[in-house]
Amino acid sequence: MPLLFRLAIYAIVLFLIAVVVDGQHHSTAQATLRGAARRWVRWGIWTLVLVVVMETLGIVFIGW
Amino acid sequence: MVTRAGIDPGRGLGWGTFLSGFVPGLLQFRLGQPNRGLMALVSCTALYFAGWVLVRERLFYWVLLDAGTPAGGGTSVARTLAQFGLPTVLPELLNLPANALGALLSFDGSPTGERASRHLQPSEYLGGFLTGASGMLAAFWSAAGHWELRRRRDGGPTPPVAVVDPALCAALSWLVPGLGHARAGQKDKGLVMGAAVAIVFAMGLLFSHGHACDRATNSVWWMAQNLFGGGSLFAALVTGPMQQEAQAMHMDLGLVLCTVAGLMNLVVMVDAFTVAERTAFPVSTPAEVRS
Repeated sequence: MPLLFRLAIYAIVLFLIAVVVDGQHHSTAQATLRGAARRWVRWGIWTLVLVVVMETLGIVFIGW
Repeated sequence: MVTRAGIDPGRGLGWGTFLSGFVPGLLQFRLGQPNRGLMALVSCTALYFAGWVLVRERLFYWVLLDAGTPAGGGTSVARTLAQFGLPTVLPELLNLPANALGALLSFDGSPTGERASRHLQPSEYLGGFLTGASGMLAAFWSAAGHWELRRRRDGGPTPPVAVVDPALCAALSWLVPGLGHARAGQKDKGLVMGAAVAIVFAMGLLFSHGHACDRATNSVWWMAQNLFGGGSLFAALVTGPMQQEAQAMHMDLGLVLCTVAGLMNLVVMVDAFTVAERTAFPVSTPAEVRS
Protein backbone atom coordinates (compact mmCIF):
# COMPACT_ATOMS: atom_id res chain seq x y z
CA MET A 1 0.00 0.00 0.00
CA PRO A 2 1.59 3.32 -1.00
CA LEU A 3 2.72 5.45 1.93
CA LEU A 4 0.70 8.46 0.77
CA PHE A 5 -2.49 6.40 0.68
CA ARG A 6 -1.88 5.09 4.20
CA LEU A 7 -1.17 8.61 5.47
CA ALA A 8 -4.37 9.93 3.88
CA ILE A 9 -6.48 7.20 5.53
CA TYR A 10 -4.74 7.81 8.86
CA ALA A 11 -5.35 11.59 8.70
CA ILE A 12 -9.05 11.20 7.80
CA VAL A 13 -9.75 8.60 10.49
CA LEU A 14 -7.78 10.59 13.08
CA PHE A 15 -9.99 13.63 12.38
CA LEU A 16 -13.21 11.59 12.60
CA ILE A 17 -12.11 10.08 15.92
CA ALA A 18 -11.29 13.61 17.13
CA VAL A 19 -14.86 14.67 16.20
CA VAL A 20 -16.35 11.92 18.38
CA VAL A 21 -13.95 12.55 21.27
CA ASP A 22 -14.43 16.33 21.16
CA GLY A 23 -18.19 16.03 20.78
CA GLN A 24 -18.33 14.96 24.44
CA HIS A 25 -17.16 18.41 25.52
CA HIS A 26 -19.46 20.56 23.36
CA SER A 27 -23.15 20.91 22.70
CA THR A 28 -23.13 22.24 19.11
CA ALA A 29 -21.74 20.90 15.84
CA GLN A 30 -19.77 24.08 15.14
CA ALA A 31 -17.96 24.00 18.48
CA THR A 32 -17.37 20.25 18.05
CA LEU A 33 -15.78 20.68 14.61
CA ARG A 34 -13.58 23.59 15.79
CA GLY A 35 -12.46 21.62 18.83
CA ALA A 36 -11.87 18.53 16.69
CA ALA A 37 -9.69 20.51 14.25
CA ARG A 38 -7.50 21.76 17.12
CA ARG A 39 -7.31 18.26 18.63
CA TRP A 40 -6.48 16.78 15.19
CA VAL A 41 -3.50 19.13 14.80
CA ARG A 42 -2.32 18.30 18.34
CA TRP A 43 -2.66 14.54 17.73
CA GLY A 44 -0.88 14.96 14.39
CA ILE A 45 2.09 16.57 16.15
CA TRP A 46 2.14 13.78 18.75
CA THR A 47 2.06 11.23 15.92
CA LEU A 48 5.11 12.88 14.33
CA VAL A 49 6.93 12.89 17.69
CA LEU A 50 6.08 9.21 18.21
CA VAL A 51 7.30 8.24 14.73
CA VAL A 52 10.54 10.22 15.18
CA VAL A 53 11.18 8.63 18.61
CA MET A 54 10.47 5.11 17.29
CA GLU A 55 12.68 5.62 14.25
CA THR A 56 15.47 7.00 16.47
CA LEU A 57 15.19 4.00 18.80
CA GLY A 58 15.28 1.73 15.77
CA ILE A 59 18.44 3.38 14.46
CA VAL A 60 20.11 3.31 17.92
CA PHE A 61 19.32 -0.33 18.74
CA ILE A 62 19.11 -1.95 15.30
CA GLY A 63 21.19 0.31 13.11
CA TRP A 64 20.55 2.16 9.87
CA MET B 1 -17.62 16.35 39.37
CA VAL B 2 -20.85 17.07 41.25
CA THR B 3 -24.23 18.47 40.26
CA ARG B 4 -25.72 21.75 41.49
CA ALA B 5 -27.37 19.85 44.30
CA GLY B 6 -23.97 18.57 45.42
CA ILE B 7 -24.61 15.03 44.11
CA ASP B 8 -21.75 12.91 42.81
CA PRO B 9 -23.11 10.88 39.86
CA GLY B 10 -19.92 8.83 39.89
CA ARG B 11 -21.08 7.18 43.11
CA GLY B 12 -22.43 3.78 42.14
CA LEU B 13 -25.56 1.96 43.22
CA GLY B 14 -23.76 -1.11 44.56
CA TRP B 15 -22.83 -4.60 43.38
CA GLY B 16 -26.33 -6.00 43.94
CA THR B 17 -27.82 -3.50 41.51
CA PHE B 18 -24.99 -4.04 39.02
CA LEU B 19 -25.44 -7.83 39.02
CA SER B 20 -29.26 -7.50 38.87
CA GLY B 21 -28.74 -5.76 35.52
CA PHE B 22 -27.74 -9.10 33.94
CA VAL B 23 -31.31 -10.40 34.33
CA PRO B 24 -33.58 -8.34 32.03
CA GLY B 25 -36.46 -6.82 33.97
CA LEU B 26 -35.14 -7.59 37.47
CA LEU B 27 -34.26 -3.94 38.15
CA GLN B 28 -37.72 -2.86 36.98
CA PHE B 29 -39.31 -5.43 39.34
CA ARG B 30 -37.18 -4.05 42.19
CA LEU B 31 -38.40 -0.57 41.27
CA GLY B 32 -42.03 -1.63 41.49
CA GLN B 33 -42.58 -1.56 37.70
CA PRO B 34 -43.76 -5.15 37.03
CA ASN B 35 -45.17 -4.40 33.59
CA ARG B 36 -41.93 -2.84 32.38
CA GLY B 37 -40.02 -5.70 33.98
CA LEU B 38 -42.10 -8.26 32.15
CA MET B 39 -41.71 -6.32 28.90
CA ALA B 40 -37.92 -6.31 29.34
CA LEU B 41 -37.78 -10.04 30.02
CA VAL B 42 -40.09 -10.96 27.15
CA SER B 43 -38.46 -8.64 24.58
CA CYS B 44 -34.90 -9.82 25.38
CA THR B 45 -35.85 -13.49 25.46
CA ALA B 46 -37.92 -13.28 22.26
CA LEU B 47 -35.11 -11.49 20.40
CA TYR B 48 -32.57 -14.04 21.60
CA PHE B 49 -34.62 -17.05 20.51
CA ALA B 50 -35.54 -15.41 17.19
CA GLY B 51 -31.80 -15.53 16.47
CA TRP B 52 -31.14 -18.82 18.27
CA VAL B 53 -33.44 -20.82 15.97
CA LEU B 54 -31.20 -19.72 13.08
CA VAL B 55 -27.82 -20.44 14.71
CA ARG B 56 -28.31 -23.00 17.54
CA GLU B 57 -24.99 -24.78 18.31
CA ARG B 58 -23.18 -22.48 15.88
CA LEU B 59 -23.28 -19.90 18.69
CA PHE B 60 -20.52 -21.87 20.42
CA TYR B 61 -18.21 -21.34 17.47
CA TRP B 62 -18.19 -17.63 18.35
CA VAL B 63 -17.16 -17.95 22.01
CA LEU B 64 -14.30 -15.81 23.28
CA LEU B 65 -12.90 -18.61 25.44
CA ASP B 66 -13.17 -22.03 23.84
CA ALA B 67 -14.14 -24.71 26.33
CA GLY B 68 -12.15 -27.26 24.33
CA THR B 69 -11.77 -30.93 25.12
CA PRO B 70 -9.59 -31.67 28.17
CA ALA B 71 -6.53 -33.89 27.70
CA GLY B 72 -7.64 -37.50 28.06
CA GLY B 73 -11.29 -36.70 27.46
CA GLY B 74 -13.88 -36.24 30.23
CA THR B 75 -15.28 -32.91 31.37
CA SER B 76 -13.51 -29.79 32.56
CA VAL B 77 -14.85 -26.83 34.54
CA ALA B 78 -14.88 -24.80 31.30
CA ARG B 79 -17.02 -27.41 29.54
CA THR B 80 -19.44 -27.59 32.45
CA LEU B 81 -19.76 -23.80 32.39
CA ALA B 82 -20.22 -23.90 28.60
CA GLN B 83 -23.39 -25.93 29.08
CA PHE B 84 -24.85 -22.91 30.85
CA GLY B 85 -23.62 -20.41 28.26
CA LEU B 86 -20.90 -18.98 30.46
CA PRO B 87 -17.79 -19.01 28.25
CA THR B 88 -18.39 -15.36 27.32
CA VAL B 89 -20.37 -15.23 24.11
CA LEU B 90 -20.50 -11.45 23.92
CA PRO B 91 -22.80 -9.59 23.88
CA GLU B 92 -25.26 -12.47 24.48
CA LEU B 93 -23.86 -12.91 27.98
CA LEU B 94 -25.51 -9.62 28.98
CA ASN B 95 -28.85 -11.42 28.50
CA LEU B 96 -27.90 -14.07 31.03
CA PRO B 97 -31.08 -16.17 31.47
CA ALA B 98 -31.90 -16.53 27.76
CA ASN B 99 -28.26 -17.24 26.93
CA ALA B 100 -28.08 -19.92 29.63
CA LEU B 101 -31.30 -21.52 28.40
CA GLY B 102 -30.16 -21.35 24.76
CA ALA B 103 -26.86 -22.97 25.75
CA LEU B 104 -28.57 -25.76 27.71
CA LEU B 105 -30.74 -26.50 24.68
CA SER B 106 -28.00 -26.51 22.07
CA PHE B 107 -24.59 -27.25 23.66
CA ASP B 108 -23.21 -30.58 22.56
CA GLY B 109 -19.69 -31.21 23.78
CA SER B 110 -19.28 -34.41 21.74
CA PRO B 111 -17.03 -34.45 18.63
CA THR B 112 -20.20 -34.53 16.50
CA GLY B 113 -21.50 -31.42 18.23
CA GLU B 114 -18.17 -29.63 17.84
CA ARG B 115 -18.14 -30.48 14.13
CA ALA B 116 -21.71 -29.20 13.80
CA SER B 117 -20.74 -25.88 15.40
CA ARG B 118 -18.14 -25.35 12.63
CA HIS B 119 -20.67 -25.68 9.80
CA LEU B 120 -21.97 -22.50 8.21
CA GLN B 121 -25.72 -22.24 8.76
CA PRO B 122 -28.11 -20.57 6.33
CA SER B 123 -29.21 -17.17 7.69
CA GLU B 124 -26.57 -17.29 10.43
CA TYR B 125 -25.61 -13.67 9.68
CA LEU B 126 -29.06 -12.50 10.70
CA GLY B 127 -29.30 -15.05 13.53
CA GLY B 128 -25.96 -13.93 14.99
CA PHE B 129 -27.06 -10.33 14.82
CA LEU B 130 -30.36 -11.08 16.59
CA THR B 131 -28.83 -13.02 19.48
CA GLY B 132 -26.24 -10.24 19.83
CA ALA B 133 -28.96 -7.59 19.69
CA SER B 134 -30.75 -9.34 22.57
CA GLY B 135 -27.63 -8.83 24.68
CA MET B 136 -27.49 -5.15 23.72
CA LEU B 137 -31.22 -4.77 24.45
CA ALA B 138 -30.68 -6.32 27.89
CA ALA B 139 -27.91 -3.77 28.49
CA PHE B 140 -30.24 -0.89 27.54
CA TRP B 141 -33.00 -2.20 29.84
CA SER B 142 -30.41 -2.45 32.57
CA ALA B 143 -29.30 1.15 31.86
CA ALA B 144 -32.95 2.26 32.10
CA GLY B 145 -33.24 0.57 35.49
CA HIS B 146 -30.00 2.12 36.73
CA TRP B 147 -31.17 5.54 35.55
CA GLU B 148 -34.50 5.22 37.41
CA LEU B 149 -32.74 4.07 40.58
CA ARG B 150 -30.33 6.99 40.40
CA ARG B 151 -33.17 9.46 39.71
CA ARG B 152 -34.98 8.29 42.84
CA ARG B 153 -31.81 8.22 44.94
CA ASP B 154 -30.49 11.65 43.96
CA GLY B 155 -33.66 13.48 42.98
CA GLY B 156 -34.99 14.16 46.46
CA PRO B 157 -38.73 14.12 47.23
CA THR B 158 -39.67 15.14 43.66
CA PRO B 159 -37.20 13.42 41.33
CA PRO B 160 -36.45 15.48 38.18
CA VAL B 161 -37.55 14.09 34.82
CA ALA B 162 -35.19 14.00 31.81
CA VAL B 163 -36.56 15.26 28.46
CA VAL B 164 -36.15 11.69 27.21
CA ASP B 165 -35.04 8.44 28.86
CA PRO B 166 -31.20 8.36 28.67
CA ALA B 167 -31.23 4.60 28.06
CA LEU B 168 -33.52 5.13 25.07
CA CYS B 169 -31.07 7.72 23.70
CA ALA B 170 -28.22 5.22 24.04
CA ALA B 171 -30.29 2.53 22.31
CA LEU B 172 -31.22 4.86 19.44
CA SER B 173 -27.55 5.79 19.01
CA TRP B 174 -26.68 2.10 18.88
CA LEU B 175 -28.91 1.68 15.83
CA VAL B 176 -28.34 5.09 14.21
CA PRO B 177 -25.35 6.98 15.62
CA GLY B 178 -26.39 10.51 16.58
CA LEU B 179 -30.13 9.78 16.75
CA GLY B 180 -29.97 9.70 20.55
CA HIS B 181 -28.43 13.19 20.55
CA ALA B 182 -31.15 14.45 18.21
CA ARG B 183 -33.82 13.02 20.55
CA ALA B 184 -32.14 14.69 23.54
CA GLY B 185 -32.06 18.06 21.79
CA GLN B 186 -28.58 18.20 20.19
CA LYS B 187 -29.54 17.48 16.59
CA ASP B 188 -26.61 19.09 14.76
CA LYS B 189 -23.99 17.64 17.10
CA GLY B 190 -25.60 14.22 16.74
CA LEU B 191 -25.45 14.53 12.97
CA VAL B 192 -21.72 15.32 13.01
CA MET B 193 -20.84 12.56 15.50
CA GLY B 194 -23.06 10.05 13.72
CA ALA B 195 -21.55 10.89 10.34
CA ALA B 196 -18.05 10.36 11.76
CA VAL B 197 -18.96 6.83 12.93
CA ALA B 198 -20.80 5.93 9.73
CA ILE B 199 -17.95 7.15 7.46
CA VAL B 200 -15.31 5.10 9.32
CA PHE B 201 -17.56 1.99 9.22
CA ALA B 202 -18.31 2.50 5.52
CA MET B 203 -14.60 2.87 4.77
CA GLY B 204 -14.00 -0.42 6.62
CA LEU B 205 -16.62 -2.23 4.55
CA LEU B 206 -15.28 -0.67 1.36
CA PHE B 207 -11.66 -1.74 1.93
CA SER B 208 -12.71 -5.28 2.86
CA HIS B 209 -15.20 -5.65 -0.02
CA GLY B 210 -17.94 -5.89 2.61
CA HIS B 211 -16.47 -8.77 4.62
CA ALA B 212 -14.85 -7.02 7.59
CA CYS B 213 -18.01 -7.22 9.69
CA ASP B 214 -18.55 -10.98 9.57
CA ARG B 215 -19.19 -12.89 12.79
CA ALA B 216 -18.47 -16.23 11.18
CA THR B 217 -14.86 -15.41 10.31
CA ASN B 218 -13.96 -12.53 12.67
CA SER B 219 -16.04 -13.23 15.78
CA VAL B 220 -13.73 -11.44 18.24
CA TRP B 221 -13.55 -8.29 16.09
CA TRP B 222 -17.31 -8.49 15.60
CA MET B 223 -17.91 -8.02 19.35
CA ALA B 224 -16.60 -4.46 19.07
CA GLN B 225 -18.04 -3.86 15.56
CA ASN B 226 -21.49 -4.74 16.92
CA LEU B 227 -21.35 -1.66 19.15
CA PHE B 228 -22.59 0.06 15.97
CA GLY B 229 -25.80 -1.92 15.68
CA GLY B 230 -27.06 -0.26 12.50
CA GLY B 231 -23.77 -1.03 10.77
CA SER B 232 -23.62 -4.65 11.88
CA LEU B 233 -27.28 -5.11 10.86
CA PHE B 234 -26.46 -3.72 7.40
CA ALA B 235 -23.49 -6.06 7.17
CA ALA B 236 -25.62 -9.04 8.34
CA LEU B 237 -28.32 -8.37 5.76
CA VAL B 238 -26.39 -7.02 2.77
CA THR B 239 -22.61 -7.45 2.69
CA GLY B 240 -22.14 -10.56 4.89
CA PRO B 241 -24.03 -13.08 2.73
CA MET B 242 -22.33 -11.82 -0.47
CA GLN B 243 -20.09 -14.32 -2.23
CA GLN B 244 -16.38 -13.77 -1.55
CA GLU B 245 -14.25 -14.48 -4.64
CA ALA B 246 -10.93 -13.94 -2.89
CA GLN B 247 -9.63 -12.27 0.26
CA ALA B 248 -9.78 -8.48 -0.13
CA MET B 249 -6.35 -6.87 -0.48
CA HIS B 250 -6.98 -4.47 2.41
CA MET B 251 -8.96 -6.85 4.63
CA ASP B 252 -6.86 -6.04 7.72
CA LEU B 253 -7.44 -2.31 7.24
CA GLY B 254 -11.17 -2.89 6.80
CA LEU B 255 -11.31 -5.01 9.97
CA VAL B 256 -9.58 -2.32 12.02
CA LEU B 257 -11.75 0.50 10.62
CA CYS B 258 -15.06 -1.31 11.29
CA THR B 259 -13.87 -2.13 14.81
CA VAL B 260 -12.76 1.47 15.43
CA ALA B 261 -16.19 2.64 14.21
CA GLY B 262 -17.86 0.33 16.75
CA LEU B 263 -15.70 1.68 19.56
CA MET B 264 -16.37 5.26 18.40
CA ASN B 265 -20.09 4.52 18.61
CA LEU B 266 -19.65 3.32 22.19
CA VAL B 267 -18.44 6.88 22.97
CA VAL B 268 -21.41 8.31 21.05
CA MET B 269 -23.87 6.10 22.99
CA VAL B 270 -22.39 7.07 26.35
CA ASP B 271 -22.45 10.75 25.37
CA ALA B 272 -26.10 10.50 24.23
CA PHE B 273 -26.95 8.97 27.62
CA THR B 274 -25.06 11.79 29.39
CA VAL B 275 -26.71 14.55 27.31
CA ALA B 276 -30.19 13.24 28.25
CA GLU B 277 -29.11 12.65 31.85
CA ARG B 278 -27.95 16.25 32.22
CA THR B 279 -31.38 17.57 31.31
CA ALA B 280 -32.47 16.18 34.70
CA PHE B 281 -29.22 16.59 36.65
CA PRO B 282 -27.31 19.57 35.17
CA VAL B 283 -23.59 19.61 35.86
CA SER B 284 -22.30 22.55 37.86
CA THR B 285 -19.68 24.86 36.42
CA PRO B 286 -16.36 24.94 38.36
CA ALA B 287 -17.30 28.36 39.78
CA GLU B 288 -20.59 26.97 41.13
CA VAL B 289 -18.82 24.01 42.69
CA ARG B 290 -16.31 26.34 44.46
CA SER B 291 -19.06 28.56 45.86
